[in-house]
Amino acid sequence: MGRQNAVRWMSWLSVLLAGTVLVFLLNVGLGSVNISLGDILRVLFGEASPAENAYLIIWRVRLPRALASLAGGAALSIAGLLLQTFFANPIVEPYVLGVSSGSSLFVALVTLGGYTFGVSRVTPVFLFLGAFTGAMLVMSAVLFAAARVKNVVTLLIVGLMAGYLCSAATSVLSAFAQREQIANYAMWSMGSFAGFTWPQVGILYAIVLATLLLSCLLAKPLNALSMGDRYAESMGIRVKPVRFAIILLSSVLTAAVTAFAGPVSFIGLAVPHICRILMRTSDSRILIPAGMLGGALMAGACDFAARTVVSPAELPLGAITAIIGAPVVVFLLTGREKL
Amino acid sequence: MSEILRTSSLDAGYDSRAVIRDIQIEALRGQTICLIGPNGAGKSTILRTLSGMLAPVGGTVYIKGQDIRAQRPAGLARTLAVVLTEKLHVNMTTAYEIAAMGRTPHTGFFGRLSPEDRRIVWECMAAVGAEHLADRDFQSLSDGEKQKVLIARALAQEPELMILDEPTSHLDIRHKIEVVRILGELAARRGLTVILALHDVDLAVKSCQFVLLVKDGAIAAQGRPEDVIGEDTITRLYGINGASYNAVLGCVELENPLPPEAFVAAGAGTGAPVYRLLNRMNTGAASGILFENDVDFFVARSMGLTVVSQSSFTPIGPEKTREAARLLEQCRFAVDTGFPRGVLCQPNLDLLRDAAEKGLPVFSLRSPEDCRACYGDAPVRQLGAVSQLEEAARGKKADWVHDAK
Repeated sequence: MGRQNAVRWMSWLSVLLAGTVLVFLLNVGLGSVNISLGDILRVLFGEASPAENAYLIIWRVRLPRALASLAGGAALSIAGLLLQTFFANPIVEPYVLGVSSGSSLFVALVTLGGYTFGVSRVTPVFLFLGAFTGAMLVMSAVLFAAARVKNVVTLLIVGLMAGYLCSAATSVLSAFAQREQIANYAMWSMGSFAGFTWPQVGILYAIVLATLLLSCLLAKPLNALSMGDRYAESMGIRVKPVRFAIILLSSVLTAAVTAFAGPVSFIGLAVPHICRILMRTSDSRILIPAGMLGGALMAGACDFAARTVVSPAELPLGAITAIIGAPVVVFLLTGREKL
Repeated sequence: MSEILRTSSLDAGYDSRAVIRDIQIEALRGQTICLIGPNGAGKSTILRTLSGMLAPVGGTVYIKGQDIRAQRPAGLARTLAVVLTEKLHVNMTTAYEIAAMGRTPHTGFFGRLSPEDRRIVWECMAAVGAEHLADRDFQSLSDGEKQKVLIARALAQEPELMILDEPTSHLDIRHKIEVVRILGELAARRGLTVILALHDVDLAVKSCQFVLLVKDGAIAAQGRPEDVIGEDTITRLYGINGASYNAVLGCVELENPLPPEAFVAAGAGTGAPVYRLLNRMNTGAASGILFENDVDFFVARSMGLTVVSQSSFTPIGPEKTREAARLLEQCRFAVDTGFPRGVLCQPNLDLLRDAAEKGLPVFSLRSPEDCRACYGDAPVRQLGAVSQLEEAARGKKADWVHDAK
């Protein structure tokens, strides 16, 4: 059986990788403005002049956005995978637990607060730290609730309510936003990879790549933990540090995405589950790489759809991810008797 | 034999409140040690403390001579494996993958299985007879199959000591027996030390070399089953009312405390089904004259019936016969269970024939020929099977006495 599985895993990983590359190319190549392949290549190989329209669109808009969506998707998918193991529950992810919304609230506070107190420009690092604070606060509240009630559905409702509260607070804040900011703000608060700047992409990649690498190191303890704390401990795993690492890493991943792209829903939920079905295993050593590629692919594809379906207008990213993600939640909830 | 686990004045409990005090256990290589006792007596608490999941409230657990609290988790996991009662929340995981988890303390940083690891996992699956389940999804297995896979997983840790908390609960009788047999084999063949809690007293007593009786916050007794389990040990341990556990037969009989209405002349095990039937009919019973080495004697006594008995291998004397006759007179009807006819049993047949001639309804489970040979013309009603007794006993004698003649 070992060989058979290895073939299945390698082929699906290759498919996911190819898909990710394809989506990346589509995101760079297609958009509301038609740019010929030749022009794209000239821009990428530095032969176009910075004043050209094509240069601006590719270099300033499409490329950072395409790169951001890949890293963002991978980060959210792994954050979801980590949390699902943590709570021994396939229906949790940063958005469902309200962690994304907590991050958003703090990003909004940092942004608006910064303007109010006369900080002219909020640096990406500052945004991330705000997002991280928000993520950890909501995570603590959810952990507190989870320690008291063991019921899965209650946990989901607690997360949902935390999310609503934070969203409500965020929209109250938007009343104080300056007029010209509101459109951006509205787009961002629904989750969007639009408007990424290069420094933001740089920070996003630095944080996400480092954190994803650390997540890979957790593969073995994650597997043991899937059998429950007691079994994991009896197999020589130090459970407490692993649990702490899971919370920290998933919060960092969520915060890094939310800081710049707002709360992006359901990727963290749908992707790990789809990967489990494709790979026919829950082995973290397979699911982590598969989840990264799958997350990048799904976020890239959803962003592509958001940009092009009603082009030149743009759909909210959350609408696309929810159309894919929400049915997965319902499917998992109704099938839970069997789990 | 070398010592695997030892405790010194161990107190086990939660949050520094001792539930069980002064536990002294010594487990040797290849021993199976079983904890029995009522629900809530603290068996799980003891097992969790022995496996290091709970800190002792007092005293120390030594695994291979070393304090369990001082051992590194990964090192301990190569000596000690557990099978817990909790349900697994895994999905998309095959039975093989679950069993392979047992290699965790042996594999490297990423948990990669070497060919040797894989060979051990397969061997452990084979040892519990679960090879054919390898590719099945764990959640799709029956409770018994899951339990076997979990034992294979524990075994894959290559432990010297396995601690199992009620591994047979929720299993059907076949899987109960299989699980106990597998554990016994592992102990005998591999020298694995097994410490477990069992609900099934008779399985525990028959399969374990050492039993600990846990009751009311203490180890009530411990030792070899033959030394520890007396006639009413189990009945008292569990505080059983209305039934009793027979230590010789290893089974539970429901008590029949009703005043005797039926006299059962039995022997050689022919009485037991009749006693049980009468009990279900809510009919009091007396039995005699039973030899004290007869299985019917043990069953009748476990059920608390009034019994006239005769010392083993000695002829029935006139005194016993008179005692049985007095008992017969108080009864509404009598049953001949079809016990083997021998010289020693003749007084029983004589008693029944006399009673029948005096007008007491007598039912015999012998074949018609045998019946005639025993009772001649006496009005005894022959029955084809024990089950017919229920209806026959309700009827009036006048309905059948005519047919018999």
